[in-house]
Amino acid sequence: MQLKERLQDRVFSLAASILILCIIMTFIFPTQFPTVENFSQLLLNLSIDTIVAVGMMILLISGMFDLSVGSIVAFSGGLAGYLMYYHDVNFIIAILAGLSGSLLIGFVNGWLIAIAGINPMIQTLAMMGIVRGLALMLSGAGIQNFPYNFIYIGQSKLFGLQAPVWYMIFIVLLFSFLVNRTVFFRRYYFIGGNERAAKLSGIQVEKMKIAAFVLSASLAGIAGILLSSRLGAALATSGRGLELRVITAVILGGASLSGGFGKIFGALLGALFMALINNLLIIGRVSGYWQEIILGLVLIVAVGLDQWLIRKMEK
Amino acid sequence: MLRLNNISKYFTGVKALQNVTLHFEKGIIHALCGENGAGKSTLMNIIMGIHQPDEGIILWNEQPVEIRNVQTAHQMGISIVYQERSLVDSLSIAENIYPVQTPVVKVGLIDFQLLFRQAQQLLNELGLTNLSPMTLVKKLSTAQKQMIEIAKAIAKTPSLLILDEPTASLTHSETEILFRILKNLKEKGVGIIYISHRMSELQKISDIISVLKDGKFVATIDSKTPAQEIVRLMVGRDLESVKKSTNVQMEIKLEVENIQGKGFRNISFKLLKGEILGFAGLQGSGRSAMARSLFGDEKITGGKILKDGKVLHLNHPSEAIDHGIVYLPEDRKAEGLFLHLSISENIFSAQLKKGFYNAAIADDVTLKLCKLFSIRTTTVRQHLRKLSGGNQQKVMLAKWLAQEPEIIIVNEPTHGIDISSKEEIYQLLKYMTAEGKSILLISSELPELLFLSDRIAVMHEKEIIGILSREEATEERIAALASGINAH
Repeated sequence: MQLKERLQDRVFSLAASILILCIIMTFIFPTQFPTVENFSQLLLNLSIDTIVAVGMMILLISGMFDLSVGSIVAFSGGLAGYLMYYHDVNFIIAILAGLSGSLLIGFVNGWLIAIAGINPMIQTLAMMGIVRGLALMLSGAGIQNFPYNFIYIGQSKLFGLQAPVWYMIFIVLLFSFLVNRTVFFRRYYFIGGNERAAKLSGIQVEKMKIAAFVLSASLAGIAGILLSSRLGAALATSGRGLELRVITAVILGGASLSGGFGKIFGALLGALFMALINNLLIIGRVSGYWQEIILGLVLIVAVGLDQWLIRKMEK
Repeated sequence: MLRLNNISKYFTGVKALQNVTLHFEKGIIHALCGENGAGKSTLMNIIMGIHQPDEGIILWNEQPVEIRNVQTAHQMGISIVYQERSLVDSLSIAENIYPVQTPVVKVGLIDFQLLFRQAQQLLNELGLTNLSPMTLVKKLSTAQKQMIEIAKAIAKTPSLLILDEPTASLTHSETEILFRILKNLKEKGVGIIYISHRMSELQKISDIISVLKDGKFVATIDSKTPAQEIVRLMVGRDLESVKKSTNVQMEIKLEVENIQGKGFRNISFKLLKGEILGFAGLQGSGRSAMARSLFGDEKITGGKILKDGKVLHLNHPSEAIDHGIVYLPEDRKAEGLFLHLSISENIFSAQLKKGFYNAAIADDVTLKLCKLFSIRTTTVRQHLRKLSGGNQQKVMLAKWLAQEPEIIIVNEPTHGIDISSKEEIYQLLKYMTAEGKSILLISSELPELLFLSDRIAVMHEKEIIGILSREEATEERIAALASGINAH
């Protein structure tokens, strides 16, 4: 492949940018940046976002997105916490309840979008509010004092890395394999590229869309359980603004709002890139206000650069 | 009026145009033809100011000019009707015709009364008296939209009008109306550049014909030149015609009894093994609607479909594919292709078998299919967007043939495709019937239907009005039946 084509492959260009960023930071902050603690913390911070981003990437590949994932994160942790704290339910059943609740929300989203024909933006925007309300009802001012078994899920360590990081790595590898190699997941590229042609190629577009929303909501549910386990508390406000952060990461990772493009690794790299910038600002003692401004600029530059390259290629 | 002198244009090493010199004069309909990739589109883009020539001079009324953008071209009086639509569905006909030169009252608000009056006047001039300027564009048929597209171009009162494949979605009678309009404009002294693949039309409407090949100017000839000669100039060789032969076997593959659905009714016919059954008719006569139902895209509300003697109940295209029925839709870009994906991914888009996808095997199979279908490409990983219309159509055919179908429904298979690709597609269709596959061929090009079909069913007002054998079928008879004149 030529360099120009390589540059158009976002997974490549993002990985290169991350590498360069790491090298620069190692030189500027040799005592603070390249340490095991810093990296372990950095990966822990991005693990929740990345798990949600994997589901969002699949939705964006098929030309849709889900704004309710942030609320689902709060809801699933809240439901599990509510059952364990107020009703002394076994932690496994509580987790399953949180996950099934999320799955159901995803199904309702998918059904109303694919079968009833509601626009994904409107449907998931509405669901975002509804589910946030449910989360508030469940966890109110916050629930604490979870059983040890539940806490263990998110706070244990393996080879120096926290459990959520391992879950993230597993989910990214699993879905990367599935999306690259199975006929089922590859169909999302067809649906995102040309829905009508996908149907006329014999693809069950409606069912596939419902499956994508169920999957995305379930991953958000898993993220919610992990988050409340890690924090040792279920908060009604957790996951606020997460949906936009995740969409930003996925777009940075090479997805297009019109569908048909994107790779699962792109979602991970997008989230990693954002976490690195964040890390840089913290170590460099830059005011937190700058973080949002810089991320906004980075997104515009990345997408703008892409457009410029495409135009250059066509000439 | 417009003189292009020694125009050259390069795209990253590829010579799109080389030293092309062409003169377009007032009151003359100048046809431009050439295969896809001959440089017609690039030339038009240069005239419209979308691309700048790398070499050469453009003279407008003897003055050298530089056309920097589309606005400049419009100001000079050059107007174009593209193949692709530029209309906004949710706005009225009048607003679509005057998107920029909208009449306004003093404070800058749109003067709708004047706007509608102007539009009505223009529609009347064009003989589209049955349309109200207040109608929303989304309510129009494809052909009517095309006419509005032309109206929009004429509304700018151009002195040079360019039409790119204007009749691709028009029926016979609408084409006649268009030709009348063009002759009218010509008499008013408007220069017209007419681009088309349809040889018979070129000869009918144009005064002179210029041929481009591989970015070079070949010749400007009189429109009375025999078609064979023009084709030879375009292709650079004589086309070997497929022999009129038949591969029909006496075995009923598909039997349709009295089916009806949205847009068609009382349809009955039998399709034999190895047969090509043509479907003629006007736009909206129900051919495409029927085809979609046979493919399970829309449900039938009555009647029976039997394949090999067994009744089929189709709820989704995947079930039709399972039963060996496949469908090549009419609108390649909107309904058939995944332009952002590679050739091999496109070919495997219809793979119904679940399981793992192996890119290496897919590429291998695709490479073989590309050879068999003579799809011209450097690599099977090439994106469909970058292929010519003819090659795209061949990819679609290859995709469905890889499914080993028994019945192939093709809708306008050569729509907007250059002549040599057309010829190749004809050969492929014939080759498929020799393999024992049956074909339903929907086409608006009568010569194509007559050439390929073993029998031709003619549809009119949602029904089959007659089925003609190869011996009975003539252009006149089909045209008469299609417009509802039952000539017994």
